[in-house]
Amino acid sequence: MSEILKCIINDEEIEALVDPDMRLVDFLRERMQLTGTKIGCKKGECGACTIIMDGKAVNSCMVPVMRASGSVIQTIEGVEKNGRLHIIQEEFINKGAIQCGFCTPGMIMSSKALLDKNPSPTSDEVKEALGGNICRCTGYRKIEEAVLSAAKRLREEV
Amino acid sequence: MKYIIAESVDDVLRAFSENDGKAMVLAGGTDLVLDAESGKKSSDAWIDIMRIPELKEIKTEDNKIVIGSAVTLTEIARSELIKKYYPSLCKGAGTVGSLQIRNAATLTGNIVSAQPAADAAMALAPLDPEIVVVSNEGERILNMEEMYSGFGKSAIDSTRELVKEVRIHIPAENEKASFIRLELRKSLSLPMLNAAARARVENGVIKEIMINMAPVGVGPKRARAAEEFLLGKELNEENATEAGKLALKDANPRSNPLRGSKEYREETLPVIIERAVADIGVQLGLL
Repeated sequence: MSEILKCIINDEEIEALVDPDMRLVDFLRERMQLTGTKIGCKKGECGACTIIMDGKAVNSCMVPVMRASGSVIQTIEGVEKNGRLHIIQEEFINKGAIQCGFCTPGMIMSSKALLDKNPSPTSDEVKEALGGNICRCTGYRKIEEAVLSAAKRLREEV
Repeated sequence: MKYIIAESVDDVLRAFSENDGKAMVLAGGTDLVLDAESGKKSSDAWIDIMRIPELKEIKTEDNKIVIGSAVTLTEIARSELIKKYYPSLCKGAGTVGSLQIRNAATLTGNIVSAQPAADAAMALAPLDPEIVVVSNEGERILNMEEMYSGFGKSAIDSTRELVKEVRIHIPAENEKASFIRLELRKSLSLPMLNAAARARVENGVIKEIMINMAPVGVGPKRARAAEEFLLGKELNEENATEAGKLALKDANPRSNPLRGSKEYREETLPVIIERAVADIGVQLGLL
């Protein structure tokens, strides 16, 4: 049985007929073609599918699609604005915080959820925010540097 | 599959009777969604309880802390109210899975999914909570041990019963709780062992004590021999060490290929229990 899902994805109002068995990550990737959100483990253990839902980082693989009803969702595709990369994305590039890139969308969404609420995170707070994102290239140090550096730039810009 | 978004407890009870055992309560979903996919749990409908305003509150009422069953673990970990009385519960809740999981998962779900070493349920156990369960038959209040019916099995039938809230007494001034975890990594891993304790101490002497540990049996297991030993004794390092040894009397750990053999767990459990007891002494300024 299908149900109607209404939500906002990357500033756009969406209305779609969905099968409630579907998980949000599959809806984003297969129905919305937002394939920047990756599927790694599909068990909540890798964080590659992290999105921001109502201001909080969540694993979209564990969200039943209908839970998104009335929610405001941001995926990696919504982070760039007017053709310009977000400061967090720029700092990931500047600090070499990307190796194979598979974990990067999830890492950036977790980082953005943190910095949206906490402009001056400590190193421990960055680690807490990224603790659910696994990088199998193990480039954690540079990722942490990128987030702290992005936080600094974002503070200076305001 | 049908998806019911409940807006009140009455909505949930109505969904129970309309679907007659075929609709299941869905809280954070971080276990249930995976169990549904693997076929471990199945239902014709989910009843989403996460938007029920009365279940989303952390408050004090009748000298108790009340945590609604739609409160997430992140909300508990960051709650000033809970931190004030039981920082150990913030610690336990803040240790489950990862931030993404804690942003969705709930304390009640951590109990109902019935994994023995669930960190939030463990930190809660020695606080001797009243767990309020509602169904179309009425309301009942269970204690922590009554929530588990077997290894990995909950006493709650989520197609007919809703855990509404958890109530915890506000501690006396000389009453503190602790939570200790032996871990492989900080994030995304179940503990090798965990333990939690709560004690009320008068003039250095233990007047009331509860100690729980896992995974050494069904749910957060009581270390009764250790508790009996400590009751009426001074809270000092020597007694904490002895309590740790006695904890083995109530423990029956299994071997796990990832999280330690039976032998390893039997060697380390006394240390974890000793630390859980000693931490209370430290908080009270006795150690």
